[in-house]
Amino acid sequence: MNDEMHAVGEGPRHEVTLDEGAAGATVPAGRVVESEFASVAVRLDEQGNSVRLRVEDLRSGRVRFLDALELETVVWLEDGHLTQLLDPSHERWRG
Amino acid sequence: MSAHLTDLPPRPDTAGELVDVPDGWEVRDVEQFLFREARLADENDYDGWEALWTDDAIYWVPVDGEGDHPRTTVSIIFDNRSRISTRMKQVKTGKRYAQAPPSNLRHILGNIELIGGRINAAGGTDLEVSANFLALESRARGNQLWGGRTTYRIRRIDGEIRLAYKKVVLVDNDKAVPTLGFLV
Amino acid sequence: MTALVPSPAEVVEGESRYDRLIQPARVHGTLYTDPSIFAEELRKIWHKTWVFVGHESEVPEPNDYVRKQLADQDVVMTRDKDGEVHLLINRCAHRGLQVCDDKAGNSSSFRCPYHGWTYRNTGELLGYPYNKGYGGKNKLELGMGKVARVASYQGFVFGSLAQEGPSLEEHLGAAKGEIDRLVGLSPEGKVSLDAGWLRHQTKANWKFLAENETDGYHPQFVHGSIFGVAGSPIGALYSDNSTAVTRALGDGHSENDLRPEFRTFDEPMRWFGTTPDKVPGYLASMAESYGEDAHRRTVEGAPHVMIFPNLFIAEIQVFNIQPVGVGECVQYSTAVQFAGGHELNMRMVSQSIGSVGPAGMLLADDTEMYERNQRGVEMADPEWLDVRRGLVRETVDEDGFTIGAATDETAMRGFWSHYKSLMEADA
Ligand code: FES
Ligand SMILES: [Fe+2]
Repeated sequence: MNDEMHAVGEGPRHEVTLDEGAAGATVPAGRVVESEFASVAVRLDEQGNSVRLRVEDLRSGRVRFLDALELETVVWLEDGHLTQLLDPSHERWRG
Repeated sequence: MSAHLTDLPPRPDTAGELVDVPDGWEVRDVEQFLFREARLADENDYDGWEALWTDDAIYWVPVDGEGDHPRTTVSIIFDNRSRISTRMKQVKTGKRYAQAPPSNLRHILGNIELIGGRINAAGGTDLEVSANFLALESRARGNQLWGGRTTYRIRRIDGEIRLAYKKVVLVDNDKAVPTLGFLV
Repeated sequence: MTALVPSPAEVVEGESRYDRLIQPARVHGTLYTDPSIFAEELRKIWHKTWVFVGHESEVPEPNDYVRKQLADQDVVMTRDKDGEVHLLINRCAHRGLQVCDDKAGNSSSFRCPYHGWTYRNTGELLGYPYNKGYGGKNKLELGMGKVARVASYQGFVFGSLAQEGPSLEEHLGAAKGEIDRLVGLSPEGKVSLDAGWLRHQTKANWKFLAENETDGYHPQFVHGSIFGVAGSPIGALYSDNSTAVTRALGDGHSENDLRPEFRTFDEPMRWFGTTPDKVPGYLASMAESYGEDAHRRTVEGAPHVMIFPNLFIAEIQVFNIQPVGVGECVQYSTAVQFAGGHELNMRMVSQSIGSVGPAGMLLADDTEMYERNQRGVEMADPEWLDVRRGLVRETVDEDGFTIGAATDETAMRGFWSHYKSLMEADA
């Protein structure tokens, strides 16, 4: 809970620019993947020694980097396991 | 979409480059033209209204906000010049029951804004103008308040201002709307 | 009211209320105006029988969803990750909030904005925030509401809110063949309804629409204004000289079978009001797919069929009729798109825009009639609507269906007899 409030406070404010010819918008944090339930910006980050995916929860400003192996793991996550992670009390709203 | 889209023309609202407002247009003349167009519609002067249109006319009333591509998805109205003419002939039979008797109608236009110049298919530059409107319609069914934003493209032909394009985005076009029999 | 006979609403010993209101040659005006009858229709028809909701092509990808209406129920049509289509009732199991707000989207799960309860797109509750308040995870046997039975035929998705009842195929009965006929005009044997929907608010009881869809008596009058101007030959199909027939297909379904007329002309695409040179790509694909039979298919054309209670296929348009109240309904309409349809698809969109929806040059006039009809039946006298046209000349065809002439009310009588059987059934 505290972590989360902290993250909200620190979240960058995004200037949304129209990205011509494509659905959705681009913000400095990346291309936006969104539905009515969540808004997440994704972009490739090349600051490290190998490329990573930078994922930002635009509603809270929280950022996570996913490396190639982590992404591959997501691809291979069993559906039931992924569904468990979607349980709001699994991590974010625990307790 | 299952249609073969290779020969799909660009959607008309974004077709043609948008440039600065071309020279030679006085806001007051533009407004007077828009007011006249609305009055001809309100007073069922079908011939007068039809005569405003150019040969490459597009009259478009989309659904769901700005609408999807009007050649691959449905719209409330998407008329070219010949369909405008069919629509006028139908209403002039006096047996277009959705508009017989005609609605009592008054449009109010506001927030008139010169948007820019729009390059048309012939390479000329039309003036793009938009305006908010409210239209109060009275019929036996009841009174209906319509509202939205209209984008017009106008050009001068032989000194007369003519209407090449009119797109009417109703504020409630994401909901069920009643019969729209009049000229919006 | 000048009641010369006992009020039809009054029940007499040994007679159902509907024996009184629905007679072979006439039906009573209160069927369209009485709120208690509408409430009973919701229970006995809309919440029970198979109702057309949408088409699988509206949720083409896994985890797609789209909001739909099933009578008074706000429904979310979803396709789960395995491809199965579900109809969820858009209501949170916690405190009843509407869960999905967008018209459409793609998501494996839905999170209610009120307190964060999260559901899979099959409706199953997968979790809630701060689970200690419920004694831990997975403690609640709850989920979003579901339309009890979901089934589709040729991609047309129907829902029934009753746990039990006839299967969809039993319900569709002979109307299945009409849907097949439509789909058989696609070179790939598949249609989609992905050209968007027009939504036409109509201040009239839904039954006026259901009855009018296969009423061949009205087109010359109501649509004379456009037939004349557009030089359309449709008017002649619905004259008393027409060889077309009105057929009651059973189970409340009916059609205007125009094939006899088109067979006489033997011209491909005449049914669509065009000529072969305008749609060469489509006809070539049809010939490739169906060989010799392509000619018959493209001569006979698409069906004009009303499937009880709310799916109307008008050749190239599909209508979904949903009631709002006793005196109001919404007509949703779209253009059929044929898989492999080539240039025909865009023509169908264009023709549909011209014809249907709130400004359509055909349907706006029908709708004006529905609304005047509703105002008319609120008058006191005469109390009845006459549905006897053609009783004197009805016959039975080789398949055992009752058929009347092109302008006869055979379809309406079929509608009413099925309606009556549903309304007389126990709730
Ligand atoms: S009402 Fe949906 S989570 Fe509370
Ligand atoms: Fe009609």
